[in-house]
Amino acid sequence: MRFRWFHLLLVIPFAFPFSAGCSGCNKREANTIVIVSSLPRTGSAKGQTDTMVNGIKMAIDEYDGKIGDFKILFQDKDDAEASSGQWTAAAETANANAAVNDKDVMVYIGPYNSGAAAVSMPILNKAGIAMISPATTATGLTKKNADNKDEPDIYRPSGKLNFTRVVPTDDLQGPIAARFIAEELKKKRVYVLNDNERYGEGIAKEFESGARKLGLTVIGNEKINVAQQEFGALMTKIKNSEGGPPDAIYFGGTTQSKGGQVAKDMIKTIPNCVLVVPDGCYEKAFIDSAGAGLEGKVFVTFGGQDPTRLTGAGKAFVEKYKEKYKTDPEAYAVYGYEAAKVALAAIKKVNKKDRDAIREAILATKNFSDGAIGTWSFDQNGDTTAQIFTISEIKNGNFVPVKELNGLKPSAP
Amino acid sequence: MTPPSRSAIAGGVLFAMLVVLPQLPLAEWGIPANLLTELLILSILALGLNVILGTTGLLHLGIAAFYGIGCCITGILTTSIFPFQTNFLVAMMVSAFGTALVGLILGAPVLRLRGDYLALVTLGFGQIVITVLLEFENITGGKKTLQGLFPPLLPFVSEGTMGRRGDWQTFPHFYYLCLGLLAIVYLGLGNLERSRLGRGLVAVREDELAAGAMGLNPARLKLSALAIGAGVAGLAGSLFAMHNTNTTEPQNSFNFNWSIIILAAIILGGLSSRAGVLWGVVLLMGFDKIASRIIDDSLQAAAADGNTAFRLSNWRLMIFGLVLIGMMRFRPNGLLPERRGTSK
Amino acid sequence: MQPILADGNGGALFWELLVNGLVMGSLFALIALGYSLVYGIIELVNFAHGDLFMLGAAMTYTLTALAVSWFGTVTPGGMSFAIVLGLLLIVPFFCGGANILIDRAVYRPLRRAPRLVPLVSALGVSFVLVNIGQLWIGTSPLSLENKAQLVSDDSLIQMGEVPLKWKDAVVLITVVPVMVGLTWLVKFTRLGKAMRATAQNLVAAQLMGIGVERVIASTFFVGGYLAGLAAVVYTLKIGRIEYQMGFQNGLYAFTAAVVGGIGNIPGAVLGGLLLGFIYSFGGGYSQGNWVDALIFGVLIVLLIFRPTGLLGSRSREKV
Repeated sequence: MRFRWFHLLLVIPFAFPFSAGCSGCNKREANTIVIVSSLPRTGSAKGQTDTMVNGIKMAIDEYDGKIGDFKILFQDKDDAEASSGQWTAAAETANANAAVNDKDVMVYIGPYNSGAAAVSMPILNKAGIAMISPATTATGLTKKNADNKDEPDIYRPSGKLNFTRVVPTDDLQGPIAARFIAEELKKKRVYVLNDNERYGEGIAKEFESGARKLGLTVIGNEKINVAQQEFGALMTKIKNSEGGPPDAIYFGGTTQSKGGQVAKDMIKTIPNCVLVVPDGCYEKAFIDSAGAGLEGKVFVTFGGQDPTRLTGAGKAFVEKYKEKYKTDPEAYAVYGYEAAKVALAAIKKVNKKDRDAIREAILATKNFSDGAIGTWSFDQNGDTTAQIFTISEIKNGNFVPVKELNGLKPSAP
Repeated sequence: MTPPSRSAIAGGVLFAMLVVLPQLPLAEWGIPANLLTELLILSILALGLNVILGTTGLLHLGIAAFYGIGCCITGILTTSIFPFQTNFLVAMMVSAFGTALVGLILGAPVLRLRGDYLALVTLGFGQIVITVLLEFENITGGKKTLQGLFPPLLPFVSEGTMGRRGDWQTFPHFYYLCLGLLAIVYLGLGNLERSRLGRGLVAVREDELAAGAMGLNPARLKLSALAIGAGVAGLAGSLFAMHNTNTTEPQNSFNFNWSIIILAAIILGGLSSRAGVLWGVVLLMGFDKIASRIIDDSLQAAAADGNTAFRLSNWRLMIFGLVLIGMMRFRPNGLLPERRGTSK
Repeated sequence: MQPILADGNGGALFWELLVNGLVMGSLFALIALGYSLVYGIIELVNFAHGDLFMLGAAMTYTLTALAVSWFGTVTPGGMSFAIVLGLLLIVPFFCGGANILIDRAVYRPLRRAPRLVPLVSALGVSFVLVNIGQLWIGTSPLSLENKAQLVSDDSLIQMGEVPLKWKDAVVLITVVPVMVGLTWLVKFTRLGKAMRATAQNLVAAQLMGIGVERVIASTFFVGGYLAGLAAVVYTLKIGRIEYQMGFQNGLYAFTAAVVGGIGNIPGAVLGGLLLGFIYSFGGGYSQGNWVDALIFGVLIVLLIFRPTGLLGSRSREKV
């Protein structure tokens, strides 16, 4: 066998572990506690996740990165892949597995997408790592629901809870949008679209049932093909629906599932129709992809308060944020901060490096008021009891809050 | 006794490495060990494509679709939503044979197409499969996928005797399971290549007309290759479902890009040499899934504010593309070419 | 699903979808021609063609942004007309030039290699171009109208209940003359004659004193030029660009070329229009989700029964 230069290449896989091993030469001390965040850091959600990560970092800085004897280390992981421009199951799985493998990881902040949460929850649940999501809202992740009788138990193979979130769920957010359309905009006929994802389809269904309860006419609930580049043909069809075009369209989906294009094609095709979208589109990238003419035509619901409307500790946070990062925080910055504050408070209370103890302390969070959004608790499912929603319109390329609504109490199942 | 061939050595070295790897303190070096399992699964997938592309010479651009079908069948058989709820062994076998059957059925009508047309049809077929997986969501789970797949490993063994539910699906148990299956597939395909069927496949690749003139039936041979390749890919898909404990979202996981990335790995390693294929996967996917992550992480750790302008993962398609172009230009037979005399 | 012509609105939906299909079809046809021309000459399926189209769209966006930052705001009317004209002049040359470069760097050294070799290289080029696009315009979709409203949303003429919008009109106004021009180029010019000769038999053409490499380069240029043109009018019509847009549009166009008979110019146009209608009606009447399956189903059925496409001749199928 002759030696050829490329045989050297075969050594590369061996070289990787060792070079990496050396980059880890500055070994962590034994008293390090790692908080991981797994958010889509590539692609169109980056604007929002940037501010979330900033919020998390600010919370850790407030403790000077130290709690008791423990050093807090923050790792900012990406669950998106550049080639798809949004979260992928592969990346989220890898992040969760990496967190499980790293014995120093105690808290997992994230993910951003409900579909991603469904992927990583069982993995982290088995390892007993607490998850605090600043953004996922799908109902089935924490609550029994009619669509899938096995939810949420399939996400909890260990039988214990490990997933919490600081934003209210879609069974509140969907009906809020319906209420806004019926009571504030005084519209009668709605058409529902969804992106066929866990989050989008779920919230569209919640919206539909909420709308029917309020007496709105729901002309249809249809899923769009996200792979399509434009929805001109679909909008033409909607415009020609029996009984005339709808007054309002509700799109259950995200910016990544072409919310912007839906807005653009609706404005182009159906005059005098408004679009209401959920918090998955509450980001600058949505406006960038939706084009012009959105004023008074597109409304976004969001399960929380706009930074400009916060008071007290929230206002102080916003000011500190502006001072530190020289920009206005996007809405989710507060929730990244809140999630990290909850985690840090639990670590402080437990003062042990023990996944189970910290997980239990986080789930037992009651009347929490150290953060920026007032006082709230986690309920028995790990959901927040905070229920304020903000509805914003788009003016001059920015979201401007127009209305704050208190979440309806969820109807008894 | 003849000395072992070069590819036998290469394959042996690789397997030895893979057996030892989980024993090293990977976590301390910052290597997510579970990603190694994915490498093994992708290796099986690549071996499946190699039967079609390397041995038989059919340019197939939709292998990821079979991966997806296998994944989905396993999901259907093991999810708690449907009444099947079989154990993994049964689900795996049904996935492999079911996918092979799909490969057979879909191969039949397109056999008389050659070269570019076959490539196009397989590509289109891949798109159709994604649509079907997405749209029949009552069965496949669609975009929302089937979740929480924790079947028992073997029949007749009650839960609990093998540790807690889903324990066997974690590292390193599942890693060694995949490694064992990879070894079986590797050796099995080796036997296949040396068999009458395998020689027939090579004959079809080298010259279809001549093979037909020699009394072989090219159509039947091609069909066998498509079915075997699809079956192996289905097996890999089944393992993938168990690894993730869900059937992954089809649009991102089983799309055309994945078919091409696997193709790139095969071409890098060496078409039709099994050891070469494995090396190709380990190099390319090891770089993509593990090394680039580690490099990105350390770049991030090194940057003062945690924001880095340069991230290797933003360049991954470029790297795959350059590998394809470069290999085609300078070394079309791959790093470890097959030894069997091929004169082109 | 609603029955055709009975949508409760006097069939307006049908006619609107027809217009939409015609417009999308002529876009697909433009891209398909690039595949077809190159395949006709060197029998290479240029997988990277769709991504070249994407780069053209990225160029369109960048140039528009540049123009806007140059002039401040762009007013509708004369100035936006001038910008559109400028885009139609510059972007096609950019794409054509890039296509020549790609051919020179990647495909030309592989002329004598087995057929699968350049094909796999083309897949590689496609990946590289997608990555360039991703680094260039980022991963989130961008809206051209955020920069400037170059073509108005209004209707040009109203045909009964069916409007013909300016955006659709721009596509048709651009595409039809280009088709005529291309036919003239191939049928009546010296270059066209040389192209046809090379396509018939490369070696014989070389022996007859035709500079084959020059002809091939010209073909790549023309193909790229058409892709660039398609990119400009596509971006003006759809208004939204994304680095992954090349794959799907390229695939549709490639399918169009094969359906029409690859290597055949009228065939590419016919295939493009056919696909445009399938795309439009499939999206309008069924749920848009099945469009892909429908298009590739048609392709597979067609290839089984008529492997050379609708207008393809048997003689091109070499053993």
